[in-house]
Amino acid sequence: MIQPIPIQPNSSNIEAEETLRLLAELPAPAGLEERIHTVLKAAPVSTKILAWPVQNGEPLRSWMRGVAAAAIVSVVAGGGWAIYSRVPQAAGPKVVELPRVTGSGGFSSAGAMRTPQTLNAPSVAQAAVPQSSATAPQSASAKKPAHRRTARSTQP
Amino acid sequence: MEIAPGAVRDQTRQHDQQAALAALVDEYASTLYRVAFSVLRNAADAEDAVQEAFLRVLRHRDTLGEVRDHRVWLIRIVWNIVLDRKRRAKTRPETDDIADLARVLPAHGLSAEQRAAAAQHHTRVLECVEQLPAKEREVMLLSAFEELSSVEIATVLGITESSVRSRLFRARNLMADLLHHARGVK
Repeated sequence: MIQPIPIQPNSSNIEAEETLRLLAELPAPAGLEERIHTVLKAAPVSTKILAWPVQNGEPLRSWMRGVAAAAIVSVVAGGGWAIYSRVPQAAGPKVVELPRVTGSGGFSSAGAMRTPQTLNAPSVAQAAVPQSSATAPQSASAKKPAHRRTARSTQP
Repeated sequence: MEIAPGAVRDQTRQHDQQAALAALVDEYASTLYRVAFSVLRNAADAEDAVQEAFLRVLRHRDTLGEVRDHRVWLIRIVWNIVLDRKRRAKTRPETDDIADLARVLPAHGLSAEQRAAAAQHHTRVLECVEQLPAKEREVMLLSAFEELSSVEIATVLGITESSVRSRLFRARNLMADLLHHARGVK
């Protein structure tokens, strides 16, 4: 069910595709298949599982393979455990000792002494001197903006 | 002497796989070679690529039964191999290869002058093909194989059929421009 892709009716395209078609139709060299067969025969088929021993020409049965595999596993695990149990474990320190910071190396204060700020008492401003009642309105009017004062003064 | 049935079954299966692989080689080696040659444009490299493709199949021969279309599957394998090789050999100048190749292309029944003109034309076309963007060039090269449909090209490239068609459309337009420009320059 091959559906060839339609070619646009353009002469240059047709010429170009003709070249590519010629290229695609170039015959394969003679004896290609034989050479590939040879390469495939010479190639290692795959990674094989280790061949199991054969007894009197008869291969080991599956249950024997299982037993043998279990024996190997138990020998390896037992050997590992034997080594682990015989090696004396080093006694670790009972008290955790923090590392001492020596004078040499690292950052230093370069002889500077810290002076807490609490030694200098905070300066409190002098209490305001009580003023006479006559001067109070003047001071209140003095706080008002100048332009407002002038505006009131111009009003009739 | 008793022979285990499992061993017999394994041997039979291996024999069947080898026979299937040999049949694939006989049937598709030539096609794969042509696909490889259309990209690599070197006979020895193309043959190496085909051999590598079949070696890969040999390594994965257990999956042969699951493959639906062996031809497209094999073309896809060899296609990936040749693209990889081409990427690695990018530093090699291709101009001489193209000129050599143009002389190799068949020109039966032509006079010496016509043959020289045809070789020039093929050289020009192949140079223009090399100037195409990779995606468009790949589709154009595969579309030259009459035995490959657009669906199969899409399968080989791992894209949709509509992408194949649009890329081919762009490739043809670009080729027309490039060839027109090349003629103008000449």
